[in-house]
Amino acid sequence: MRPPLLRTSDGVIAGVCAGLAAHLGIPRSWVRVGMAVLTLASGAGVFLYAWLWIFVPTASDQAAMLGRRSGPAAFMHDVGATGHRNDDGGRAGVAGLTSPTPGSAAAPSGQGPAAPGAAPEDPTPAAALRATGDRPGRGPSAGDVGPDRTDRAGRREILFGTALLVAAAVLVVQLLGVQVDWGFLVPIAVVATGAALAWSQLDDVRRARVMNRAGAERAGGALRLFAGIVLVIAGVLVALSSSGSWTLTMATLVAVLAVLVGVGLVLAPWGLKFWRDLESEQAARVRETERAEIAAHLHDSVLQTLALIQNRADSETDVLRLARAQERELRQWLFADPIRDPVSLAERLRSMAGEIEDLYGHPVTVVAVGDAPLEPAEDALAQAAREAMLNAAKHAGVAVSVYLEAGPEAVEVFVRDRGPGFDPAAVPADRLGIRESINSRMQRHGGTAELRSDADGTEVRLRLPRPTGIPA
Amino acid sequence: MDAVNEPPEGPAPGTVSVVIVDDHGIFRAGLRAALGPAIRVLGEAATVEEAETVIDGVRPDVVLLDVHLPGGRGGGGAEVIHRCTRRGVPSRFLALSVSDSAEDVVAVIRAGARGYVTKTISGPEITDAVQRIASGDAVFSPRLAGFVLDAFGTASVAVDDELDRLSARELEVMRLIARGYSYKETAKELFISVKTVETHVSAVLRKLQLSSRHELTRWATERRLL
Repeated sequence: MRPPLLRTSDGVIAGVCAGLAAHLGIPRSWVRVGMAVLTLASGAGVFLYAWLWIFVPTASDQAAMLGRRSGPAAFMHDVGATGHRNDDGGRAGVAGLTSPTPGSAAAPSGQGPAAPGAAPEDPTPAAALRATGDRPGRGPSAGDVGPDRTDRAGRREILFGTALLVAAAVLVVQLLGVQVDWGFLVPIAVVATGAALAWSQLDDVRRARVMNRAGAERAGGALRLFAGIVLVIAGVLVALSSSGSWTLTMATLVAVLAVLVGVGLVLAPWGLKFWRDLESEQAARVRETERAEIAAHLHDSVLQTLALIQNRADSETDVLRLARAQERELRQWLFADPIRDPVSLAERLRSMAGEIEDLYGHPVTVVAVGDAPLEPAEDALAQAAREAMLNAAKHAGVAVSVYLEAGPEAVEVFVRDRGPGFDPAAVPADRLGIRESINSRMQRHGGTAELRSDADGTEVRLRLPRPTGIPA
Repeated sequence: MDAVNEPPEGPAPGTVSVVIVDDHGIFRAGLRAALGPAIRVLGEAATVEEAETVIDGVRPDVVLLDVHLPGGRGGGGAEVIHRCTRRGVPSRFLALSVSDSAEDVVAVIRAGARGYVTKTISGPEITDAVQRIASGDAVFSPRLAGFVLDAFGTASVAVDDELDRLSARELEVMRLIARGYSYKETAKELFISVKTVETHVSAVLRKLQLSSRHELTRWATERRLL
């Protein structure tokens, strides 16, 4: 592949020729001689050199640009670091920037009357407001910084180049003898440039919003917008061409400008206020939607469970089971880790633990360090672990701890209970549980199973070596 | 605990004084009932400001601190710890939370809490945890041990006093705690004394609080914690 066109730092003047030579894969001296020869042709070389000097970035510029492209992560990090130090809702701000985090989903619950105290993030209304309010505006734009900027730089160069080409074409045409009406062309160019500038001032989000408001996303709307702009330009042109002389035009322009600036100064505060009202109204609507969603969820899950619990108040195991199941469900909803893979080994173990908890009413806690994809071997490991959990919950009748550690060399699962323990040798041979479901299953996939039971409890240790070369 | 920190009423030796900070009255009442006779509850508080005043006023051995609290600048339990530390309160903090999200755990531990347990903990367990905290030890739940292993990585290093890594022994201790072993069971398993286990756990707590390790930061950033 050809190296990118970059100015080098070891050049004679600005590294243009050296960079060009590296890019084209020819000796530097050739490029320099070529430049010099071109300079003799009425200074074309000088212009080319200046052009490249301006538009070709240096290697360090490029690096900075790339750095900016990976900006959001660095930005997140900066924000996060200060947020931690400030404690006062800085974290809520971060949550707001990365919209689908559990934090932002849960932040409004601190405000909503439906869930007092369930706020996992930051219960002050201000923080909640910030978390939700920041999202529509800052979220997307902060995330787009890198690619957007480079994209726009490219567009700007293309526009500039096109303008120069058009100008050159007009000059050539004039040289060929065609009469060019400068009095007509210059105003058009000025107006078009102005419109382009104004349009480029808006960032993508605002642009989309303006388009949206003008109904420009539909063909008819776009046509209307375009027609309006053409009419405005035509009007300006008529005003200009009727005057004819340049001095008069300048005077008119100055007057118009003065009036526009004056009107702008008077109206700016109103416009700004209007804009802010609009934004806060939108934020309020987002909050309202989220609150409604939370209320709906709480009604469907928590309130129903509470009603059930009241019905079954006489059965302690039922109440416990319902409470645990509801807790698990709510926790999943509130704190679901966005980086968790829903079909990973850890998630599989968690859902199995929940299932067994529901079956026997004993809490089964899962602690996972690292995670692994659910390949057939891992699935077998999960099945074996399930059997172990089931045994523990059934026979020990106490809380069960499950620990998963997925390292680079092996995936290990430990299932432990503090029940009375039993003698593995005393289990009748026809009982398939441990022997078939755990031992054989692990052996079939190259793993091992170990069982230890004494008065302090029982622990099943499952180990599945990983093929080397797979990262943790 | 030092005699200086004993309340003026002169309680029986061996009792530990606590303040319960939680914004739910029902939970405070339940916790008060669940704590054993060796624990004396000196006061309760429901907000950050209240907590600061009450804790500074009675200076308990241990503060049972909810991670999520209204008031203050919205920093919850971590803010209470910061404020009390600034005032020079010698009390130790045990964080309690209904949530077991890494976010809550890491924030409050790094603020200075000496332990972290979930609110589903049983009466005897919380009593034991309070006494452990009062005697200067750290209380690690299996999940906190899991977070530590996740954050520091499970590969051991030989250097013992390095802040950024766990020693082989510390890793073993953390692994056993994550597997649901008590300190006593951990000690038995590793053929060391309970005191040694406590020393290892305290060392890990210190590392967790002080480490500015790159990996820890990255781990926390990935989970949007820092």
